[in-house]
Amino acid sequence: MSAQVHRENVVLQSLGQIGSCGLFLLRVLAAVPRSLRHVRETVRQLWFVGAMSLTIIMTCGLFVGMVLGLQLYHVLAIFGGTSASGSVVALSIYRELGPVVTALLFAGRAGTSITAEIGLMRATDQIAAMEMMAVDPIAYVVAPRFLAGLIAMPLLCCVFCAMGIFGGHLVGVSWLGVDNGTFWSNMTSTVDVYQDIINGVIWKSVGFGAVCSLIAVFQGYTTAPTSEGVAYATTRTVVASSIAILALDFILTAFLM
Amino acid sequence: MSQRKSYAVGTGMFIVLGFAALVYLATQTSSIANSHQGASYTVDAQFANIGALKERAPVKVAGVRIGQVQSISLEPGKDVADVSLSIDKKYAQIPADSVATIYTSGLLGDQYVGVQFGNAKNYLADGGHIGLTKSTQPLEEMLGKFLGGGSAADAIGGTYNVKASFTNVGALAVGAPVKMAGVAIGSVTDVKADPVKLDATVTMSIDKKYNQIPDDSAAAIFTSGLIGSQYVAIQPGGSPNSLKDGDQLVLTQSAVQLEDLIGKFLVSGSSSGSNANNGGNNNPAGNGSSNPNAGKH
Repeated sequence: MSAQVHRENVVLQSLGQIGSCGLFLLRVLAAVPRSLRHVRETVRQLWFVGAMSLTIIMTCGLFVGMVLGLQLYHVLAIFGGTSASGSVVALSIYRELGPVVTALLFAGRAGTSITAEIGLMRATDQIAAMEMMAVDPIAYVVAPRFLAGLIAMPLLCCVFCAMGIFGGHLVGVSWLGVDNGTFWSNMTSTVDVYQDIINGVIWKSVGFGAVCSLIAVFQGYTTAPTSEGVAYATTRTVVASSIAILALDFILTAFLM
Repeated sequence: MSQRKSYAVGTGMFIVLGFAALVYLATQTSSIANSHQGASYTVDAQFANIGALKERAPVKVAGVRIGQVQSISLEPGKDVADVSLSIDKKYAQIPADSVATIYTSGLLGDQYVGVQFGNAKNYLADGGHIGLTKSTQPLEEMLGKFLGGGSAADAIGGTYNVKASFTNVGALAVGAPVKMAGVAIGSVTDVKADPVKLDATVTMSIDKKYNQIPDDSAAAIFTSGLIGSQYVAIQPGGSPNSLKDGDQLVLTQSAVQLEDLIGKFLVSGSSSGSNANNGGNNNPAGNGSSNPNAGKH
């Protein structure tokens, strides 16, 4: 395919990608009941995308919380409102940073490896071999990874948020001297469990988990069966996931607020 | 087998950790930590204006949380808000004639319902009703009272309307107080430009209590303080006849423009002062600064 044709068709191609991604989602969802027979495979994927991501999620959550505590302290000090730093750290982590940063890290840490793994299965004809053996690759390979991403994301996001609060507390209270009691009481009086934790953390990260893992498995499953194709698919996973996360973030915020 | 077991255990630990984090977030860092536990009973109260009161806002006695706002709805067919308060059973001894007031915590804080105890011997029960309520005070109203230097006229005995024409009303707004000797006797109900005479017609509604105002009184627009709001001051005249509904105040003094005042200072009262004072004021007397009836029609 020449570059000329490629450029002319770029819009149609993107539309085609979105369309086939949607159709692929339907196939995956249809295969979910059958994939429950391979529940051990789902658990193994959950271990891989969830438990193995904990280190990066916890480290990043800690640093995001710490930097928020530090930045907000200095801004709030201008207005003499450093006692509000607990509630501001909590609200910004719950409503935005927690779900979004977790999803971006997840796309980079777990999404790429899902894409590369499925893409290599495609390139080395393992998927064709499964079809030959009457094993549905959607039910055995794709759906467990999709489910694992869907389950792992909210859990990772909760861990991220808890670490973020801990980091904010560490900087705000232990280092900068915000009063411990006002830090917590301000936080507990502003954070609403339905608005901020259920809607902000849980539903958002479920949405991000669905989108990230769908993009990862779709890019892997539809990759060109060459080493170059796998490389492109992995890159596209990160790019498409990041764009989708931020766009979906706006939409979900508008709906859930 | 052993390898599979290790990741199964690890996955289980991951899930437990995730849920533990969720429970921690929900119970330790959110409003659930503040919300009451245990049995509660419900009483309702009606407010004319609830301001920004939200559901689950605290209900407090002497600043101590005793419950929360359960629901807010509009009383059908009336313009009053029906607020139902869920109060902890521990605090069952609230006198039936207590007063419920909507307060704001701090200048920018959230609103809550404060309950002040009455003296009745019987207590509020489940499904009870707090009859005495005080609605939220809009900040504008409170600031207006401060800056206006006094309370608005209560207008219980009815009002009558008087008109006055000004060449310049400055920043006079509808609702501004009308004062005589510094006491609020009414309020401005309308400010309109007259399309024919090209001046501003101000309609004031004055409390009927003050029906002895001479009909040759003058109306002037003053500012309370340097940055305060503007008000209409009535300066009584000497006529034996009193103002009646629909009358027009003939003698008026317009709002003084700060720019004009500064201009007069800068040119140290020279003849150009009258030209500087041209904010629509085509008063032939010229030296408007010494003439209280500038803009007389």
